[in-house]
Amino acid sequence: MAETRPSAKGRISTPIALMPAVLQHEWDLYHATWFTLMGVGGGIFLLSRLMRLERGLGVWLGLPVVDLVSFAVISAGGLLLIWSLGRPLRFLRAVLKPGTSWISRGAIADFIFVVLGGALILPGLTLGAAPPFAWLPWDAWASTTAGRVIEDVALAAAAIVIVYAGLVLADKAAITFWRSWAIPTQFVLSSLATSMATVMALQTANRTPIEAAECWLLAGSLALLLGAIGWHLATRTSQPGKAEALARLYTTYGAFFWVGVIVVGTLLPMVLAVLAAVAPSARDAVGLLSLVLTLAGGFVLRLLTLRVGYFPPVSGALRVPKR
Amino acid sequence: MRWGMVVDVRKCVGCQTCTIACHEENALPPGIFWRHVVDVEVGEYPDVRRAFLPMGCQHCAEPPCVPVCPTGASQQRADGIVFVQYDMCIGCGYCAVACPYRARHMIHDQDWYFMAPTPSEKKAHDPERHGVMSKCTFCKHRVDKAPAGATPGVDPEYTPVCVSSCIANAMHFGDLDDPNSNVSRLREEHQPGVLLEELGLKPSLFYITE
Repeated sequence: MAETRPSAKGRISTPIALMPAVLQHEWDLYHATWFTLMGVGGGIFLLSRLMRLERGLGVWLGLPVVDLVSFAVISAGGLLLIWSLGRPLRFLRAVLKPGTSWISRGAIADFIFVVLGGALILPGLTLGAAPPFAWLPWDAWASTTAGRVIEDVALAAAAIVIVYAGLVLADKAAITFWRSWAIPTQFVLSSLATSMATVMALQTANRTPIEAAECWLLAGSLALLLGAIGWHLATRTSQPGKAEALARLYTTYGAFFWVGVIVVGTLLPMVLAVLAAVAPSARDAVGLLSLVLTLAGGFVLRLLTLRVGYFPPVSGALRVPKR
Repeated sequence: MRWGMVVDVRKCVGCQTCTIACHEENALPPGIFWRHVVDVEVGEYPDVRRAFLPMGCQHCAEPPCVPVCPTGASQQRADGIVFVQYDMCIGCGYCAVACPYRARHMIHDQDWYFMAPTPSEKKAHDPERHGVMSKCTFCKHRVDKAPAGATPGVDPEYTPVCVSSCIANAMHFGDLDDPNSNVSRLREEHQPGVLLEELGLKPSLFYITE
């Protein structure tokens, strides 16, 4: 509350917490899950297409398996998002305010990605001996101009899908722990790491050799993720609401955070990725193991981010009588 | 015109009449309170004070809950009242985590106090309110009914029920833009403060604390 006028009858207190910091309870397990699925689904498409790996990751019914995996993961995230709404049947209205709302922007990006991504691979669909959409002026591998345009738009949409969950938290939420660029940075890096591990696992399944560059990319993403987590933990630590969040993170969720997120979900796969980069024979095993570790670590990271979300105290100054 | 409230914290006795009146007027389910009174203790012995602060939506001039809404269900009227258009809300909860005053409440399911709705619950029950976000509306259903010549904030029938029910005359409602309104005179006389002023949200609830 703003400072009130002085009076001879007492003194004005320094601002105190009229309402203490309290935990948010709106977003929890469902949101952590769809944040994770959206990030990973978008990342799988983005990385495989940018690195031109999709041809070596399997084909099913003439369609790139990696793209199908991406759509399946995104769709699962989208369905969970819709399920988490208070009024799920109204989900299409979520696209109405892209000018100001990150949920709206993300929903639009989700739809664009699924529609254009699906359209991109459609010409490859082969049922029996016939590809019914072969007449379309592009192919599933984006080797024509039309295909490249569709792919570029789908890639841009995928990039938004990866980043928007973090921006939903960081942009306008009242929860101080969330209001940092470190949150979307963490979510993006975690998504890229899990996506890279997924691509590596698909390469293993298809007996495609995993390149050292992929291992370095995985290790680099995880190293940057560690840096982003450290940055978030070390800055503005006494900010109202964030101080309470950090205390809860270190105590109530200390074991989950330090062991689950930092050691098992980040440090261990990072070390394994470095080993795989220098030891090609270990790459298949490291890819599979990293997928499990980074997926679990990334999910717990998101869940804990939500669960330590405190509304800051509502503070104000009141007059205290002098006796 | 901009509707607002001035709360005289010196007069509030913490009886929670406003809490109950709001709850009944709006047929809120158990556990949902758009208006509540915070009981705080300030100072150090022997110079201590206990104070009561009626809290709720601050109907900010710059409400953070409105732009985050992905559907446009969270709206602000020209007279400053911030409300939720229930039939547009998808219940995503973004506005709730955007409000630093914690003034938004999701009504997951209608839940009655006594198994079946009481007459007052039945009267104000709105099935459109299930699964969506809810909040204080400054009793716009009462304010909007004011005929020509009646003044919300002066005529109890057209005044938010928390204000008209206050037993200590601690709460006042009126037009903040009208220099002759009750709330403008109180602001001029007492220069009340607002909560979380540093956020720059320009709330419409003012608190007289001295």
